[in-house]
Amino acid sequence: MKRIIAIIVAIIAVFAFAACGPTEKHDVKIGVICLHDENSTYDANFINAIKAVQKSLGLSDSQVIIRTNVDESIDCYNAAAEMVDAGCNIVFADSFGHEDFMIQAAQEFPNVQFCHATGTKAKTAGLSNFHNAFASIYEGRYLAGIAAGMKLNEMIESGKITADQAKIGYVGAWPYAEVKSGYTSFFLGARSVCQSATMKVVFTMSWFDIAKEKESAEKLINDGCVLISQHADSEGAPKACEKAGVPNIAYNIDTGDLGPNTAIISSKIDWEPYFKLIIDAVANGTAIPTDYCGDFSTGSVALTELHENVAAAGTKAAIEAAKAKLISGEIKVFDTSKFTVEGKTLTEYIADVIDNGDYVPETNVIHDGYFDESNAKDFRSAPYFDLTIDGITVEQ
Amino acid sequence: MESVAIELRGICKRFGRIQANNNVNLTLYHGEILSLLGENGSGKTTLMNMISGIYYPDAGQIFINGEEVVIKSPKDAFDHGIGMIHQHFKLIDVFTATENIVLGLEEKGRFDIKAASKRVKELCDRYGFILDPDKKIYEMSVSEKQTVEIIKVLYRGANILILDEPTAVLTPQETVKLFEVMRKMKEDGKAIIIITHKLNEVLSVSDRVTVLRKGETIGSVNTAEATAESLTEMMVGKKVVLNIERTDPDNPEDRLIIDGLNCINREGVQVLKDISFTAKAGEILGIAGIAGSGQRELLESIAGLQHVNTGSIVYIDPETGKEKKLRDMTPMQIRSLGVRLSFVPEDRLGMGLVGNMDIVDNMMLRSYSKGKSAFLQKKEPTDLAQQIVDRLEVVTPNISTPVRRLSGGNVQKVLVGREISSGPTVLMVAYPVRGLDINSSYLIYNLLNKQKENRAAVIFVGEDLDVLIALCDRIIVLGGGRITGEVDARNTTKEQIGYLMTKSAGGEE
Amino acid sequence: MMEAKPKKEPLIHITKRDVMPLWKAILVRVIAIAIALAVSAGLVVILTQKNPLEIFSAMFNGSFGTPRKILNMLQDVAMLLCIALAVTPAFRMKFWNIGAEGQVLMGALASAALMYFLGGSGLPNGVLIPMMFIGSLAVGMIWAVIPAIFKAIWNTNETLFTLMMNYVAMQIIQICIASWATSGSGVMGVINLNTKLGWLPDLFGQKYILNIIFVALLTVFVFIYMKYSKQGYEIAVVGESENTARYIGINVKKVIIRTMLISGAMCGFAGFLLVSGASHTITKDLAGGMGFTAIMVSWLAKFNPAIMVGTSFLLVFLDKGASSIAMECRLNESVGEIITGIIIFFIIGCEFFIRYKINFRSSGKEAAK
Repeated sequence: MKRIIAIIVAIIAVFAFAACGPTEKHDVKIGVICLHDENSTYDANFINAIKAVQKSLGLSDSQVIIRTNVDESIDCYNAAAEMVDAGCNIVFADSFGHEDFMIQAAQEFPNVQFCHATGTKAKTAGLSNFHNAFASIYEGRYLAGIAAGMKLNEMIESGKITADQAKIGYVGAWPYAEVKSGYTSFFLGARSVCQSATMKVVFTMSWFDIAKEKESAEKLINDGCVLISQHADSEGAPKACEKAGVPNIAYNIDTGDLGPNTAIISSKIDWEPYFKLIIDAVANGTAIPTDYCGDFSTGSVALTELHENVAAAGTKAAIEAAKAKLISGEIKVFDTSKFTVEGKTLTEYIADVIDNGDYVPETNVIHDGYFDESNAKDFRSAPYFDLTIDGITVEQ
Repeated sequence: MESVAIELRGICKRFGRIQANNNVNLTLYHGEILSLLGENGSGKTTLMNMISGIYYPDAGQIFINGEEVVIKSPKDAFDHGIGMIHQHFKLIDVFTATENIVLGLEEKGRFDIKAASKRVKELCDRYGFILDPDKKIYEMSVSEKQTVEIIKVLYRGANILILDEPTAVLTPQETVKLFEVMRKMKEDGKAIIIITHKLNEVLSVSDRVTVLRKGETIGSVNTAEATAESLTEMMVGKKVVLNIERTDPDNPEDRLIIDGLNCINREGVQVLKDISFTAKAGEILGIAGIAGSGQRELLESIAGLQHVNTGSIVYIDPETGKEKKLRDMTPMQIRSLGVRLSFVPEDRLGMGLVGNMDIVDNMMLRSYSKGKSAFLQKKEPTDLAQQIVDRLEVVTPNISTPVRRLSGGNVQKVLVGREISSGPTVLMVAYPVRGLDINSSYLIYNLLNKQKENRAAVIFVGEDLDVLIALCDRIIVLGGGRITGEVDARNTTKEQIGYLMTKSAGGEE
Repeated sequence: MMEAKPKKEPLIHITKRDVMPLWKAILVRVIAIAIALAVSAGLVVILTQKNPLEIFSAMFNGSFGTPRKILNMLQDVAMLLCIALAVTPAFRMKFWNIGAEGQVLMGALASAALMYFLGGSGLPNGVLIPMMFIGSLAVGMIWAVIPAIFKAIWNTNETLFTLMMNYVAMQIIQICIASWATSGSGVMGVINLNTKLGWLPDLFGQKYILNIIFVALLTVFVFIYMKYSKQGYEIAVVGESENTARYIGINVKKVIIRTMLISGAMCGFAGFLLVSGASHTITKDLAGGMGFTAIMVSWLAKFNPAIMVGTSFLLVFLDKGASSIAMECRLNESVGEIITGIIIFFIIGCEFFIRYKINFRSSGKEAAK
């Protein structure tokens, strides 16, 4: 019996191999592995993007397989392998913890392209068919932070709060670089327009925990935070904000319907350009970049609709102006003159950019007066800014 | 003739393959006491449960005061003036008598506990109950609790009362009192059905007797025209000799010496006080007493199941004559000392046997741990099971039937059979015929007598004083955890034992 | 007289059945599944306007679509079965151990820790894997015996105790991951990805075959242990009636502790297989709720290890079917879960009809005539 299985698996592997010559678009088949389902704002962002790409490229339903609720365990490998069996020539996984299982599958199926969002190991794995991708979302966060700062200013001007009370609350998932980089850029954006802003961060230690995210937001509000943002994937925080009447800035999806009176804007990574890129690459037989970082120019970093009823006046213009300056390079988000760590301005920071599993930092990422975040060319796409700057307090 | 209170016509009820009632007819008049007589499993309780709305008949009709009724629930039964007093009381311990009586009544207007208490008092006076309406249930004796149950149904205006084995829990004196009350209720025009096994009670209290056998009505007779023998014949379907052949003890020698036993249970209540007695080989020692006077704790102390605070339990080895101290030993340790102590506990399926296991597995309970192997030996228990089934005529489809599916008598045969199979030198039995039919009861008595002849020291805890007097050689009486007297069974009366049973109640030091 | 009677009997009344013949009982269950499928088909048509056959074929494909899916399904069945076997002795004893999840996780953690710390020590697999095996069993036993000791000595409530131990286990894993993988993301990553140290070897070039064989052997062991060993007999007696156990002199406390040690060891073994034979990592979701599902597996099979093979297969099949429906029909996985719920509802519900009989008014009338 076992032998029969082995033979059949081998035959299928051969077919998969055979299917892998120069490929036409109608031969492309992509499998997308998601940690949760649409109820998670994070996964919904991927699912919506791949569906949009499927539509715009005119792919059939059978060419796009989406598997939801795949744990960061051997389940991920199994799902990937089953997708390969089903004829996929691209397998994409959306969660950080999927990475090693994707590498495992990539080792086993060299003719299939494995693309992984938020991962860090593509440059060290030594596999030609394994790729990482991310986006310079810190720039988007910075713009969202400007919207937050404008709102704080409005509150101060209207006498609702004093300048000292301009405290932002932030619900983070895990205390690691992706989250830290996100809230720091958001905070820097806010402080670029509201000098007195401070921020308090709490971690939920989970990517998706509605109850805990709601609880954390409520706690921050009770703590005197007058504006909330979050980097965690459920609708817990936006809902808590709507209930308490506290303005909220979200991530990944537009939360206008969750918080009609409190949602200001969301920053998000638009994965459509990357999905298009990898599908085109496979169809045309060109290479997929080992590490890819999308930005404003690729359309990967985006802001959702600004809810003018909640946002402060002039927000739109301020965001547009800042965006133009970011694109031109006139301003840098992590400009070392704009923040201090323990009272000191940074001139050098050694980060753990090269992921060989040792967690030992080895690369200086500060040059020319700024912290060079998500530089896929020289460093890597996944964030590595993991400092706590002055003005932000983190609750352990 | 009096008017008909309730009439049943062609009542049928089936549980699976068992026809519990088949075409049962029964008539009850106002102002009479009807005994419903029948062996266990003859369908008495099923029939009464249908009248009181617990079961619904498969077929047949029920007429009350000449009008056909449908009784779908206990509430319907109440509405028709039917009240049933169950064997197991349904009372709330921390409430008073009155509170329990009015509990669940939906009366309009403001609730007046004083008026209720007054009405309870009136009912007591009218029928001669002795009851303090403000006494809490947990302070009451069994007989008082029963009184509360009866008043509860009278309070609700019941005209038809059904009492399910009311005397099982009462002393002879209390039984006499209950019967007086029943007669008064009868004079008041109430219709009463009493379920009982005890023929002398049937003869003394009832006006008519209806006999059921195997779910069918065998007939109704006027009590005045019946005798114990004729009723037994109707019940069993054949003539039964109702006597126990008691032999004189042959050279009784001390086997088990209990001295100064004191025992305090988990709740901190002293359940055994200074118990001393000797059980002798070749005789049956009876233990009488109201239920809960310490019988269970006494037997469990001897069997190694109950922690003893002070005193000694000494076993004298029949072969060597040496003394062995059994106190504070576990059943396993007692067995490994070579003491063949067998125990038929009161709770057969909850303690002596495992209801969900088959006969073979139940045989293994005593012997499974024998031998070094990690695995069970099935051969011996299988043989033993087959032997017991054959010899004691256990009615069962086969030996791999779970014992819970057997009738009460057959369950007891399996248990007693296992306990005597080891050739015990001490055999303790607690209420061994409770719930058994007449044939099975006499079979058990004979088995006990045979063990006595085999020189076992038999300790018999019983409730039926007639049986104790007829079967045992000596009887010790327990009252409130102490021994209130010892009598020679051949020279005693029920009244004397009954007196000893209640003695300690007021005789506290 | 009967005709004149205006009274009405209740429309239906319920009576208890005697034992139902086996073929009939099977027939009832088959009919139940058929109705369940029909109802879910109806639901699918209403909700999605899709052909129900398409849905069911997607469901079937989830487990049987390709050889790999069969193998993956067998692996999942093996893991669920392994945990179900582990909880069985305790449940047979009426010790409500709902802490299997935590016991599995702790066992898994032990294996993962040994893999992580000894991966670079140069120990060969021949030494490392047995060490992981023993470590997982030992830790699983410790985690299970704590509530057993409390139960035996102070008679604490084991249900709450074991449940809470699950959360403690999860938190311990979080702490370990946070201190081992300092990136802060709560992800350990695959341990020894390149050296494959501490990984159970593939058999016939396939993953999981060893897991499946181990669990098959364990099934036989538990079956024999429960049915033919003296200890199994003691467990049954204690479970049926503690009083009887005392009466025949079984040391109930000893049996409770010993049985939980065995239960915990098997849970630890499941943890070992999950880490060494499958995921090669540790997360707090590694057991994925199987510690709870296993209770249902064991219960549905009435604690019979042979039938548990079937019930664990059924649950895995339904679970895989649910996600396959979600994938192939582009529906939310909840639709699959609704179907699973409907099927399980009917399977459990049909037990009522096996035990009880419903009588209708007319049948009673006829009998009366």
